[in-house]
Formats: sequence, C-alpha cells, structure tokens
Amino acid sequence: MTAQRITRQGLLDWLNGVAAKATLIAPVRVEGIYLFRPIVKIEDIALDYSQSTVPPKEWLFPRSDTLFTIERLDRAYELKPPAAAGPRVLFGIRPCDARALAILDRLFLAEPADNLYEERRQNTVLVGLACARQQLPECFCTSLGGGPQEAANVDVLLAGAGEAYTVTVATEKGQQLLSGATLRDGGEMPPAPSLSNQVPTAGMAERLRLAFNSSYWQRLADRCLGCKMCTYLCPTCHCFDIRDCDVGGHAERVRCWDGCQSALFTKLAGGHNPRASKAARLRQFYAHKYLYFPERFGVTQCVGCGRCAHFCPVNIDIRETLRDLQTLEVCPHGSGETARRREPVGAAFGDSRASA
Amino acid sequence: MSDLVTGIRAQVRDLLARRRVEYVVGYETGSDGVNARPFFAYTTEEADRLVFDNTCTHNLTKYLVEPERRGSTIGVVVKPCDARSLTVLLAEHKFPRDVVAIGVVCPGIVQRTREGGDGEAPQARCQVCDQHTPPACDILVGEATAEGPVLDQFARLAPLEAQSAAERSAFWSQQFERCLRCYACRQTCPQCYCDECFAEALDPEWVGVRIGRAENWLFHAIRCFHLAGRCIGCDECERVCPVKIPLGLLNRKLRKEVLDRFEYRAGTRSDERPPLETFRKEEKLDLA
Repeated sequence: MTAQRITRQGLLDWLNGVAAKATLIAPVRVEGIYLFRPIVKIEDIALDYSQSTVPPKEWLFPRSDTLFTIERLDRAYELKPPAAAGPRVLFGIRPCDARALAILDRLFLAEPADNLYEERRQNTVLVGLACARQQLPECFCTSLGGGPQEAANVDVLLAGAGEAYTVTVATEKGQQLLSGATLRDGGEMPPAPSLSNQVPTAGMAERLRLAFNSSYWQRLADRCLGCKMCTYLCPTCHCFDIRDCDVGGHAERVRCWDGCQSALFTKLAGGHNPRASKAARLRQFYAHKYLYFPERFGVTQCVGCGRCAHFCPVNIDIRETLRDLQTLEVCPHGSGETARRREPVGAAFGDSRASA
Repeated sequence: MSDLVTGIRAQVRDLLARRRVEYVVGYETGSDGVNARPFFAYTTEEADRLVFDNTCTHNLTKYLVEPERRGSTIGVVVKPCDARSLTVLLAEHKFPRDVVAIGVVCPGIVQRTREGGDGEAPQARCQVCDQHTPPACDILVGEATAEGPVLDQFARLAPLEAQSAAERSAFWSQQFERCLRCYACRQTCPQCYCDECFAEALDPEWVGVRIGRAENWLFHAIRCFHLAGRCIGCDECERVCPVKIPLGLLNRKLRKEVLDRFEYRAGTRSDERPPLETFRKEEKLDLA
C-alpha cells in the first residue's frame, strides 16, 4: 500500500480517461438527493457528496435482474442468458458501503457462486472516497469495526476534499486503473473526522437470542408502518423474489428486491404466514443482521451506515434498538412476567422524555 | 410544557384510567431529541411521555386500519387534517365508531430536511390549510381559533398544468424511474387499507414484479386514482418518499378535479356520501 497525491484537476482528467474505457458510475445530485448513476459528463459527479440515498449495491445486485429470457421456437424453447456486464468503475463509494459489498460477497460468492453477481463483481473496480466528516447524523461505522478512512474493501481510496486528494492504492486492480493518472509522491492522510455515535454492538447475538420472545418487539412494531424502506436502503440487505414475466413475444425470469418487512414476504401458498405480525418481522430485520448472518458467515451484516434510522418515516432507530437490547430485561424462554411487562421503547437507556 | 401537551396528557390519563380505551396513539419525542414520532400509551404513566408540537407530522389514523388492531378500542390524537382522514374512514365503514378521537388545535407543522439544516418554514399543506381546529372530534384540546387567509392550494399545480401532455409524461417518467417500490407512500397513507393491494396481487397480476419505470408508473397511477375523492391532502406520502417523488402533486390534481366536478372536499362533512360511491341523476360529467 503506497500513498500519493492527485490534484482535483488531475482527478477529473483521469476520470475522463476512465470513462472512455469503462462505464463510470458515481454519485450525482438528483432532486436534492444523491444517487449512483452512470456518468455522461464528468462535471456531474458530486465529489463533495454526503451519502447516497440508495446504496451503490444496486450496481452489483440491481433492483430488477433478468436471469434469462425464454424464447419459443418451433416445438422447443431456448433459454438465453442476459448480456454480459462490461467493465465498470464504481467511483466515490463510501468505506461503509464498500464494507457492505465485502459482506454481500460472503453470501453471493459462497459456493455455488451467484454467476451474475460474480461477473459484475469481477468486472467492477471500486474507487473509495473517505469521509471527511460524519455523513449522516445516525451513522456509526466505528462501532462495527469500520472507519471513515477504511481502505480494506476498495481497490483505490481517495481522501481529502477541495483541491487535492491523497491516493491509497490497495490492490493490483487499483494500480492498473491508476496507470493513466498524474500522481505525485508524498500524500498524507488527512485527520479522520470524529464521529458522534458509539453504539454497543458486542454480544448482540446472545442478547438477541435472549430477547427472542420479549414483548419489546411488539412495542417497537406498534409504530412500524411495514414499508420496505429500511431493507431497500440498507447496503447489506439482499433478499429477493423471483418470478417469470411476460414481456410480449417472450418471457423473462426476473429477480427483484424484496424485503422482510412486507407482510407478503413469508406468506406461503395456502395462506399460512410464519412471520404473521409486524413484531416478528421487525425482529427478523435485527436478528438477521446481528444473529443469523454472523452464525452462518462469521460477520455482522450491518456496517452502521445509518440509512435505516435516517430515512425511517416513524423513527425506528437501530442505534436505539441496539442500546435497548443491551439493557433489556429478558427471560430466555419468554414464558413469564417479562412478556407481560410492556416497557416503552427507549426507556431502557434512561431517557428523560417523560418529564419533557 | 405547552397547554396542548398538558391537555393531551390529562385527557389520555383519564381515558386510560377509566378503561374507555385499550391504548392511545399519540406522539412522543423521537431519538434525535427534537422531532416527534408516533407513540402508543398503554398506561397512565406512559401518558406522561406524550408531546405535541410543530414537528408532529405523522397522520396517526393510519394505525387504526391495521389488520392487527381489529377489535380493539383505540384513542388517537388527531390534527385537523388527520380528523378529515378519520371522517373518510368512518364514512367508508372501515370500523364501527369505537375510536376516541382527541383533536388538537394545530399550530402548523414545520418542514424539516433530512440533512438537518432545518428551516422553520411551514409544510406546503400547512400553508394552504384553512382548518386549524379539528372538526368532529370526541375531545378537543386547545382553543378554537379564527381562520386567517391562506395560499391557493392548487397554485403548485399551475406549472405542470401549463405543460403539454408529452412534457408531463416526460416529467413523471423521470420521477417514477427513481421509485424503489418500497411502498412507504402506501404504508403511511390512512386511505390505503386494502387487505390485498392491487400492486401485489398475484392472480391476476396487475403490476409486474419488476421494479422498473413502467411498473412503477402503473402503481402510482392506479394508487392516485384509488385516492380520488378520498385523499385529504396530508402529503405524508410525499414526505416519507426516500427518493423524493412529488406524489403530493398527483393527489392534489385529483383533489382539484373532485372539487370542480362535485364540490366535494374529502373528510370535511360526515353527513355527505363520497362522490365516487354515489350517483345523482343531475350529475353531468361532460364525458365525450
């Protein structure tokens, strides 16, 4: 790993070169929010953006993905694979979102690998943009082992703002991508921003096991609206639905995002729903991230980007839930008095709202 | 503590102490210490967590129509616009009259941006609001106020109405391209309560599963038609949209059509049948 410098103009010149050889995808400002979009003009890139509303996972695991098309031939059918993904450069990805892709890798690249994800992943170079400040009031990456300048999950990391950026080359892929760039020696990492949130995440798997039958979930779910925003804006959520679509003349098998907060998500043929209540579905959101995924893949499936808390229409705040879980009085088998006690959410960490 | 908060807490404590209701849906201060969020008070002690101020944006009548709450007697804190939602729901026989509506005189709700750099400017719906005292509530908290002059509620439509159909089509196409179909707009809307939404019906499959422009377009177009003559204009669908699709514009346009054709404003009168569920012989729709 070596550190070098690049000027803002040098960066824009280099990106122009990159865009000529690959699809360049970067944050742009659309109607007051930031989204990762293919870049037509380099000036459209929002170099000083805060955080994208929709995480860049959508460029590896798109909202809708055609798995194959089905053509009817004379007395036969032909299955055609989708067009291959060309080379892509995902520019400006935040360290938390890059960490999220490393988490998605564990699932999608585990044998048997998901071939569409794998192909896109191999054809994509990640250029990270370190956080010069805390991007969302709710983000807490350092509580999960990440950091605003983490270079571990990208090919190249840029840090800085304004006129010059420090360049950290993290992989061979990154080195190659930078071959046309005008770099100068002697880059120095700017000081890391201080982050306001420290959330207790240690031992969360055990806490969730103990709280499985707690009435806490019922209280939290009272105000949940049951939309899928938290799962769709989460950089690590990866559940999907697969269906066949008639697209006029031929059919397609399509994989689309789906989310556990929808009542239909686990509804079975015949009508039974194993997660029939909002409480059970909300518990699933947290337990998948902090209990089930770690059990299977060895890492927490949350990077602390803060989007779910930031965008939730009714302020279901993961920082608050994790704190509550640490102090919640629970009974392991949910049989007794705890289930009858209906403590309000947020009371567990001694707030003073009652006296406001 | 404001008089409104003192008044709400006293009323809720009383309702819960008398077991008139099982619980009350109101507001408490959210995790940022500033903005309100929905809160369910089950005990008289919990009534003391309730607040009311100019951040109480949510339309809490949504919770009344959740399938999981059927059969419960519930108290609900309503602003004037939320009270109109309740009137629509009662007219549609969504539940028997076992709701206790605690109406609050509304100071107007402020617009806050998610980036945190809030102004204290009132929300668009509040700038055109001519009803600060809730109609038809069981309990009224606050002093009824005289209504001042308001902005034209349909002024925001003028730029779009001046465009050609092709221009408007291009505008909405661009907006709907961003839609993720997270359904937050539908889930936050009290007037969206179908057990099975057309958008998720499998047989027949009205809207394809693909999250793409055409499917998104169909979803929003049908949803806004389902709300014609029923939408009371709380604009919560627009507030909650993570990708900032101006859904309030669509609903406002249909409110204007219903007002022009039937002289009807959803939720303002409980003794009037909704225009799209009745037919009068003298109605002339000038349909070509």
